[in-house]
Amino acid sequence: MLQFSKFVVVRAVLAIFTLVLVSFIVFSLMELVPGDCAERYLAFKSSQGSVITAADVQAERVRLGLDRPYIQRWGSWIINAFQGEYGDSCILRLNISQLLGEKFWLSLGLCLSALILAYAIAIPVGILAATSKNAFLNNGLRLVSYLGLALPNFLLALMIMLFSTVVFGDSLTGLFSKEFRDAEWSYARVMDFLGHVWLPIFILGWSATAFAIQTVRALMSDEIGKLYVTAAAARGVSGRRLLLRYPARHALSPIINSLGFDLNRIFNELPIVALILTLTEAGSLLIEALARSNDQQLAGAIIFLLTASIVGINFITDIILALTDPRVRRSIVG
Amino acid sequence: MTDVTNIDAAADQKLKEAYFTASQGQLIWQRFKKNKSALAGAWVLIFLILSGIFAPFLTPYDATIAGRDKEYLNGAPQIPSFCDDNGCSMRPFIYTTERTRSIKTNFRWVTETDTSLEGRRYVQFFTKGVPYTFLGIPFERHLFGVDKGMIHIFGTDSTGKDIYSRTLTAINTSMAVGTIGVVIAFVLALAIGGVAGYYGGWVDSGLQMMTDTVRTIPSIPLFMALAAFIPDTWSAEARFFFISMVLGLIGWPTLARRIRTHLLTERNQEYVLAAQLCGATPAHIIRRHLLPSFTSYIIVDLVISFPYMILSETALSFIGLGLKDPVNSLGVMLQNVTSADVLLNYQWYFIPVIFFIVLVLAFVFVGDGLRDAADPYSDSSK
Repeated sequence: MLQFSKFVVVRAVLAIFTLVLVSFIVFSLMELVPGDCAERYLAFKSSQGSVITAADVQAERVRLGLDRPYIQRWGSWIINAFQGEYGDSCILRLNISQLLGEKFWLSLGLCLSALILAYAIAIPVGILAATSKNAFLNNGLRLVSYLGLALPNFLLALMIMLFSTVVFGDSLTGLFSKEFRDAEWSYARVMDFLGHVWLPIFILGWSATAFAIQTVRALMSDEIGKLYVTAAAARGVSGRRLLLRYPARHALSPIINSLGFDLNRIFNELPIVALILTLTEAGSLLIEALARSNDQQLAGAIIFLLTASIVGINFITDIILALTDPRVRRSIVG
Repeated sequence: MTDVTNIDAAADQKLKEAYFTASQGQLIWQRFKKNKSALAGAWVLIFLILSGIFAPFLTPYDATIAGRDKEYLNGAPQIPSFCDDNGCSMRPFIYTTERTRSIKTNFRWVTETDTSLEGRRYVQFFTKGVPYTFLGIPFERHLFGVDKGMIHIFGTDSTGKDIYSRTLTAINTSMAVGTIGVVIAFVLALAIGGVAGYYGGWVDSGLQMMTDTVRTIPSIPLFMALAAFIPDTWSAEARFFFISMVLGLIGWPTLARRIRTHLLTERNQEYVLAAQLCGATPAHIIRRHLLPSFTSYIIVDLVISFPYMILSETALSFIGLGLKDPVNSLGVMLQNVTSADVLLNYQWYFIPVIFFIVLVLAFVFVGDGLRDAADPYSDSSK
């Protein structure tokens, strides 16, 4: 037990260290963007008619703490970031945590649902494909997984939009109907949300599903020919029982490890899919911040949060793997 | 009887000899040839790349704003036909269109088609058109064109640019972006992965930590953040090079990891030990023994990472952070297609998508085939 808690602590420290490195990269990126918050804010003010002097810019810098050295600013940014505080958005002059709040959780929920959907499809289909000798099924699945790569989620989203507009006359976009967009959460709003959310989840899960089927199939066909499976079959275990109790257990544990990277891949697609489907969540906010308003504070916070959730997933899967897989447990407890 | 067996045995011997003395390249080609889908992918890929290279000849018009057709904005694809109500002709033809605005059309611009005999535009081959240079030699012949006016087999966009011409040029752009990106990623990966794999120890751990951290950050948001640096004042060409560089700068971690793993495992192989015992210098070992042991894997990895580069570029350009207008790429062409107007009325904007799915699929098939072919154990495992 002691060794196990030691393992957890070491993993947690590693995860936090990774996050600190990530925050350094993200913070440096934000700093590299030409112009800082003070200049941008005052440029806005001067466009509103106020007269702005160089002294005003300097005063604003001091007010925002931008005159402090780089490392010091990074330090305070990262300390605040770990407390869930990202300061004010440069352009919108709003508190970022408030601005993001619900939207970030919405994005995370969408991506996790897409991930769950992907594996809910991929595990049974992959196992079936590995065990079946049906050439038609196997070739069909190969084609689907190739398409998963060649037709990235955002092109799929475009195609679905095109199709639904031509056939149904409705582009199926957005997360809420008009009347619920800014309403409080209620039963009707939840129902409306569920009516819209299935399409983004499907689209986000599309590539992930194709990849996951490929992985599950490969892992499963590696395991299925091994001697312990033959031995179990010789003892008289057969059918589904044989598959699920022996090769599947072994084949599926590496998958737990790769969940973090799968989530990474889904996050990759999130902003663009969000833009196409006009989802009101963090992904489209990120594009907004980067492509239109050049809001480095907001963009940095979103990228950091996305990465933090991947690191979090990696940490959790490490622990789960240690709990469920006796081989890994052995190597820790010794 | 014995003669026959002797001949058989001799032939067999010859085959075996050919097999055992074959170079790695020959072996890979042998295995690759057997894979039908990969071979088909290779043909499609060659066809697409060639049509990209010969785009100026294959397309009738300039792909930039210079080649616009003022008379045919947002025009539907014009499919040449042989017959209509006025009878048939040996030469395929399309109709003349004209944009008019009058009291009859409520003063809105309307495209009118003249379906009379006089309105026919006959398709001609090897027509004289816009001059272009290929390999430094000026040409003005194009594969096809029409006798008067213009022909748009994939339709036109909102400024009247020919979508067919743009699509073929866009293949070129994608290939160029992919090549630059892959080369930069490869050089970085070779340096970083090579150092990590060769020195091992804490250098390796440190570099691994760094690589893993870069890999955790979702790459497209990172692309977007980097691409947002580009000032609006940059020219389209400068943007193009910067975007390709960014793709390479972010694409290296996966490749670096592979190279490191290869080096780490190969370093302890017996043939390296044998070479060391013979007194070979480290430089000689790396050059003559280690590098050839995984060049094929690296080539395969490069081919496999190519479509990712193309798709990332498309994604970036699509949201407006990548390439910009005078440069053609799929992403640029798709920039405004999400509007309801386009979705409902101008579906031919989506034709280039087909080409790109085929291009990426071809790359994936070839990459997969090469991977199987480069793996010396792929035969025995099947």
